[in-house]
Amino acid sequence: MSLAIVDAREWQNLLDLRTGKKVQDENPRTLMLRDILKRHPYPGDVDILSNRWVTDTALDLIDAYEPEFACVFYSHQYFAGRYTPMSEEQRKAMIENVFEEVERFTEKSRFAPVIVGSGDLVPLSGEIDLGKMDGIAISSHWSARYVGLHGASSRDLDRVASHPAIEKIVRREEWIDLFPGASYQADRIPEYLLVARAGWGFVTTGTPMRKALRVPGANFEIPLATSLGKAATITGIRSLIHANLGRKKIALIIVEGVGMRDFPMPHTPCDNSVGWYYYEPADAQYLTMSTGTHQVFAYPSGYLYQDELDAKRDYPFSGYFLDIPRDALVSEFPGKSIAVGNHSMFVHVIFGADICLECFARNLYNQGCLGVIHRFK
Amino acid sequence: MKCSYCEWRCELREDSLGICRMYSLDHGKIQERFPNRWSYSVSRVESLPFYHAHPGSRSLTIGTSGCNFSCRYCSNAHIALHDPDTLSEHTYTMTPEELVGMGQKLNCHNIVFNVNEPTVSLPALVKLKEVADRAGLPMGCLTNAYGTMESTELLASIFDFINIGLKGFTSRFYREFIGVKNIGPILRNIRRLAVLRHVEVTTPVIQNVNDGQLDVIAEFLADINPEIPWHIFRLLPEYEMKSAEYPNIERIGHALESARKKLRYVYFHNFVGSEWVNTACPQCGMEVIERLSLGCGGDKLDDFRCLGNQCPRCGYEIKIHGQYVPPLKERRVSA
Repeated sequence: MSLAIVDAREWQNLLDLRTGKKVQDENPRTLMLRDILKRHPYPGDVDILSNRWVTDTALDLIDAYEPEFACVFYSHQYFAGRYTPMSEEQRKAMIENVFEEVERFTEKSRFAPVIVGSGDLVPLSGEIDLGKMDGIAISSHWSARYVGLHGASSRDLDRVASHPAIEKIVRREEWIDLFPGASYQADRIPEYLLVARAGWGFVTTGTPMRKALRVPGANFEIPLATSLGKAATITGIRSLIHANLGRKKIALIIVEGVGMRDFPMPHTPCDNSVGWYYYEPADAQYLTMSTGTHQVFAYPSGYLYQDELDAKRDYPFSGYFLDIPRDALVSEFPGKSIAVGNHSMFVHVIFGADICLECFARNLYNQGCLGVIHRFK
Repeated sequence: MKCSYCEWRCELREDSLGICRMYSLDHGKIQERFPNRWSYSVSRVESLPFYHAHPGSRSLTIGTSGCNFSCRYCSNAHIALHDPDTLSEHTYTMTPEELVGMGQKLNCHNIVFNVNEPTVSLPALVKLKEVADRAGLPMGCLTNAYGTMESTELLASIFDFINIGLKGFTSRFYREFIGVKNIGPILRNIRRLAVLRHVEVTTPVIQNVNDGQLDVIAEFLADINPEIPWHIFRLLPEYEMKSAEYPNIERIGHALESARKKLRYVYFHNFVGSEWVNTACPQCGMEVIERLSLGCGGDKLDDFRCLGNQCPRCGYEIKIHGQYVPPLKERRVSA
């Protein structure tokens, strides 16, 4: 049973992660995690101290659990970059700040880093308004580039075909064919995937209410910085880490919202795309890194996620994730592993670490933290 | 000309607007500035929150722009408190038929106005109500109840189920934190709406500011009807009060014990993992409705054990407006 410690500041509750029901556990190591969460109240996604929280919490957890693998997410610059007005100087200072945190983490932890930038943000060029379609146009999980179209009329198709900011209209079969071998459930994939030109976003069902200022750019490649070797593609990051796991302590450090343009360290390009498709910083990208296979259809862009959120289901505190992946990066690793980060549920779902500490924030509203214990070793 | 929609009763002139900036004077008549400009989304009704109306249902949540309050802690300030002129990009121009049609396409069971204050858009909501009625979609809303007596009657004619924000219990609190002079009209309207419609009440708690007023609010509501469901929201202050202390959960949870002796349905939520979200039968104590509090992910119905509206153990009639909607079937995904 995976345990979830919810920490709403000055108040904690212990739950079964799968059922969401309250449980009791007096294991000293569970108490140790509760203490770590108490010591590190989360400052909020767009607070400049957010990334410092990641480093401090991760170092504290490393001291307590002594893992051999750590996954560390730094996400402040992604959230603030999308929604907070700032000058170019302020934006550069924000990027410098996150890499100071990366450096502080690697120096103090002495883990061998595998640092991945998930892709640059670019200023929003404009928005494609799909609020009044005959069918349903769905934007899922903060995607800027992709929207799913369900039950489209010929008028809808004419309209999107003539929109100058829509780069492609992709039929379901065409999208599936782009990823041969990838597992999928056809009925979850929208009939059409609409692809916006770089810099554009959609306004439609599922679009966040906040006005975006920047969106993920055309990140066909993302930067990878490590002395452990190279990974030519995003699917190769897993084997790069596996080849070194057990021989040295490794930290996979994901710097969200930073790509080839802004990445300040020496790095190599890592292919983040297949054909016209490139990953945005979201579940599909991280699941692909974690499993080493393309996971573009696990939660396909533009699917009717509301049906799944409303269903009777497991893992109610894991956002839209319906399950914990069985073949995640370190779920079978015999050594100890942790994950810490400020991109909420990605941290405990994606990489299969033993112990995960993350913020509990949704749509930038800060509700505290979540600790997940998948297993103790 | 004086605007008669809310108790500000603003003086509207051809060249000036009122507090909410949503009505204007045009050739001697009060007109909506942005009729049929809507935002919409989809939500579980429990998230809004309604715990005793249409349990388990899916709501098309809608909003416009503007508000007649200026709460110092507003969590929707980016929508409610900005000049409505600047928010046009966040809204769609949709006829009532198109908006209701969107609700039907998205398999919604009802429509709930919840983004900002409905009093600022009443004429458009009257038209929407006509179309929603024809489609069989009941309408609900969240309101601050600062309407005039006339507009409160209009509000009740539009909405079948209403959650009223009672943010404190003194005029001093309302002056200092909400920006209106007098709580009187709000208390008057709660009494009236509770007679006319299904009413739930929500009170956001701010540590050391209004947490001392909980008992007196419970007394006020119990005097109207002890079956009014009362939601105490742990407020995570935003906007001008972003740095305010988070309310202490243990302390407030304990303070509510006294309120439970006065009111039959008292809830404490808006924080992840809350233990105060289930409905116990007021007569025998059986937990008849279980919910999950997912924090800012909203709340969710987890188990509905009533038979019809009755407690399955003792037969007590639980206060429920509308029909229970069973959950969709589970789907599993494995990477």
